[in-house]
Amino acid sequence: MRGPITFIYYLAMMYYKKGVESLKLIELKEAGKKFRNNQILENVNITVDEGDILGIIGRSGSGKTTLLNLIAGFLEPSSGEVLHSFSVTKGPRNLYTDLHKIKDQIGYAPQHNSFYPKLTVMENLLHFGQLYNLPKATLQNNIKGLLQATGLVLHQNKLAEHLSGGMQKRLDIACSLVHKPKIIVLDEPTADLDPALQKDIMNFLAQVNKQGMTVVIASHHLNLLEKFCTKIAIVHQGKVHSSGNMEEIRKPYLKENFTISLTPGGNKEQFISLLKTLPVNKIIDRQHHIIIHPKNITKTITGLLTLIEEENLSYDLDLRRPSLDEIFETITLEK
Amino acid sequence: MKSLWLLTKKNLKLLVRSKTSALVVFFAPLFIILLLGLSYNSTSKYGLNIGVYAPSFSSDVESLISSLQEQEFKIVKYNTAVDDCVKDIKAGVVHACVSVPESLTIDGNQQKEVSFFVDPSKVNLVGVIQDTLNDKFNLKSQQISKELSGNLLTAVSDTKSKLEEQGTQLSSAKEKSAAASTTTLEVSQQLSTLDLTIPTLAYDPQLIVNFKTSVSPKIKSGLADVKDARTAVESSSLEDKSAILSSLSKVEVQLKSLDTLVNGVAVSTNNNTTTNSSNTTVTAASTSFLGALTLLEDELTNTKGKLTAAATAIETTSTGLSSTTQNLQDSVSALEAAQQRVNEMKANLDGQKVTDANVLSAPLVTKIEKVAQEGSYLNYMFPALLVLVVMFSSLLLGTTLVMMEKNSPAFFRNYFLPIKKGTFVVSTYLTTMVITLIQVVIILGVSIIFLKISPLQLLPVAGALLLSSSVFSFMGMGLGYMFKSEETGTLASISTGSLMLFVSGVVLPLETISPAARNIISHFNPFVLSESVIREVFIFNAGFSSVWVELATLAGYAVGLLVVILTAEYLVHKHFISGFMKHRHLKHRQQEKRDKNNV
Repeated sequence: MRGPITFIYYLAMMYYKKGVESLKLIELKEAGKKFRNNQILENVNITVDEGDILGIIGRSGSGKTTLLNLIAGFLEPSSGEVLHSFSVTKGPRNLYTDLHKIKDQIGYAPQHNSFYPKLTVMENLLHFGQLYNLPKATLQNNIKGLLQATGLVLHQNKLAEHLSGGMQKRLDIACSLVHKPKIIVLDEPTADLDPALQKDIMNFLAQVNKQGMTVVIASHHLNLLEKFCTKIAIVHQGKVHSSGNMEEIRKPYLKENFTISLTPGGNKEQFISLLKTLPVNKIIDRQHHIIIHPKNITKTITGLLTLIEEENLSYDLDLRRPSLDEIFETITLEK
Repeated sequence: MKSLWLLTKKNLKLLVRSKTSALVVFFAPLFIILLLGLSYNSTSKYGLNIGVYAPSFSSDVESLISSLQEQEFKIVKYNTAVDDCVKDIKAGVVHACVSVPESLTIDGNQQKEVSFFVDPSKVNLVGVIQDTLNDKFNLKSQQISKELSGNLLTAVSDTKSKLEEQGTQLSSAKEKSAAASTTTLEVSQQLSTLDLTIPTLAYDPQLIVNFKTSVSPKIKSGLADVKDARTAVESSSLEDKSAILSSLSKVEVQLKSLDTLVNGVAVSTNNNTTTNSSNTTVTAASTSFLGALTLLEDELTNTKGKLTAAATAIETTSTGLSSTTQNLQDSVSALEAAQQRVNEMKANLDGQKVTDANVLSAPLVTKIEKVAQEGSYLNYMFPALLVLVVMFSSLLLGTTLVMMEKNSPAFFRNYFLPIKKGTFVVSTYLTTMVITLIQVVIILGVSIIFLKISPLQLLPVAGALLLSSSVFSFMGMGLGYMFKSEETGTLASISTGSLMLFVSGVVLPLETISPAARNIISHFNPFVLSESVIREVFIFNAGFSSVWVELATLAGYAVGLLVVILTAEYLVHKHFISGFMKHRHLKHRQQEKRDKNNV
């Protein structure tokens, strides 16, 4: 009797949660991490909901990997708590202490490839899959699907060490997914890959996410994260500066609504001095282009167009909302 | 040259900055040398346990034991059976057995046999033991030989002095015998002069009979007459009767004398007159009788003379003979004494029971008996070689496998596998065991062919080897967990194996180090324990009962090490992974920086 009751309760809870809010798979509450006297993270409040693709961005050393480790349950928070709700019937529980029970719910692809180089692609997948005690047929199906999705079918009998960098990364992610976890945590999966491969990987992850898997990903490739992630968390100097979907991230930076990017064709210094006569909050000089944060978009644009016309300047002008990259840069530069 | 120096400097810095590497590279060899130096800085043989079997421990045996103890041998006594001692050799309790007879006293032309029981499988010890024991027993043999020769020479010397003494006595006896001889000759001569011929005078003895027959009644008649006369006189009234009675008494006396004379044929010439005057018959008879008496008297006189001469000669002879008797008695005494001395000398010489030159020169013979079957040195060294192979392969495999896992890119992923940490430890152990098992099977298979060993005999050997392998595997795994880099871990494994090998007694005799250290090593060095078990099983076909202590110790080691490794794994696994992650993370960032710089 216990099985059906539990199942009914589970369905009811699912329905209830779906109706009210999406299920919080992992929740960090005022979580902090300290190594000896070095405070890596402090007061982190993030929620990873079921079905999210959470992108974590930050500069090197900002604490991204530590945050991922907290989310994956590998590290115990020094302060605050990290809770999980993999079991809907039991409510939020401590992730770190429960990790041994929920290891099969988590997939982790660290920065470096984590497989046996001296085993073939198939052997690696079989090895890790078998250790998750999956039924043989399920495992075979999983592997087959993963090989096709990652494009490793033709390379399945190659030694892992003989694969290209991109292939190895795909294998690494496949190894993390072989047991079909509820959540996969990836630490810079697109690092060291060419743009096409980066896109392939992200497409693959998006595909996986569509199948119901929650994805947490840390990367420096902000444009990709902006495109694929449903949520972003910006980590800077040990704190999560902003988190939420892109609109929520952008919101604080949209009071001037737009960002004007200019690509000067002649004397840049002279042009910057002319721009300073306009109502602008900030002029950012990038080597190849200039970014203007206007005080008043109408006046600034009008003034700018007048300048171009009067001075007969030849410029590319791009008027748009701030990108994640720019927001990130703004945040990190402000700090 | 500059670059060479810079590279060298860099290498040294790297080694010094890695604490474990520095410890192993610099101090491990020094430590090993120090240990070995301390262990073997001795020339004494203390620590060699010698079992001495004797039916009973007489003073001879005890003296021998004392002399062995002087050599710093430790003596274990056996008095029930020499087999007990031999069993203890196999068990490694004693290194050799000496079977000595109850007494080392040589009491016949039979050499005493002393048997040494040695274990030829202890190749590095057997020579030392044999040489030392042989030296000791040869010395003892020389002592006994010297003693026996001394006894013999003393007996000869005693005999000589006794003979010299007897020579004097015999000379004296000889002189005395000579004197007796002379005296005897003189007596002989004196006796030869004696005339003891019977007088040849012819007289008729009937005459005396006739005389007696005729005279005797008349004398009796006369005596009766005298008696009557006396009676008559006494009855008379004669005044002077006394004169008559006196005369009558005289007559009566005369008659009685005569009667005595006649009857006793002892006539006195003084009485003849009276007799003659009384009776003519008597006179006639008396005459013939007197004539006969005269003749007889002459003869008697003659005889008396002869007898006097004879008496004189006899007296002289008697004196001579007394002297001779004395001389002869002295001679007899001297000869008896001589005979006694000779008997004593004979007894003394008979007392020298050792008369065989072989026994005299070598009273003790030593016999060396080997407690194991004869085999080549390979047979004897085979157990040590087996354990050596198993030890190094298990140690290195254990270390390498742990290192491989620790340094494997997949190390982090394993953390997220729903598998207990102990499973990884056991899997590493099993991997080692599988490889070791293959090696053992190959080695033992080869040994069946080349050493002609029974496969059944090898089964317990294989079992013991696998148990040993477990201990060494866990040790290797422990070292693998302790060290960071594969190089230092491997070096540590080799150093550990070498240390155990050096203090195992296989290369250098363990018995030359102090007993306390040896005791620790032999009881706690897994190599020694394993080698001991394999040797007993392989060479002596020992059963489980003989080696269970060693096996239990090894099993204890294995379990203890497993527990330590599991505990360590539980406590520091996270630390390893964090270190691993940190290392990879840093590498990743460095790569990132390099990429940025390149852009």
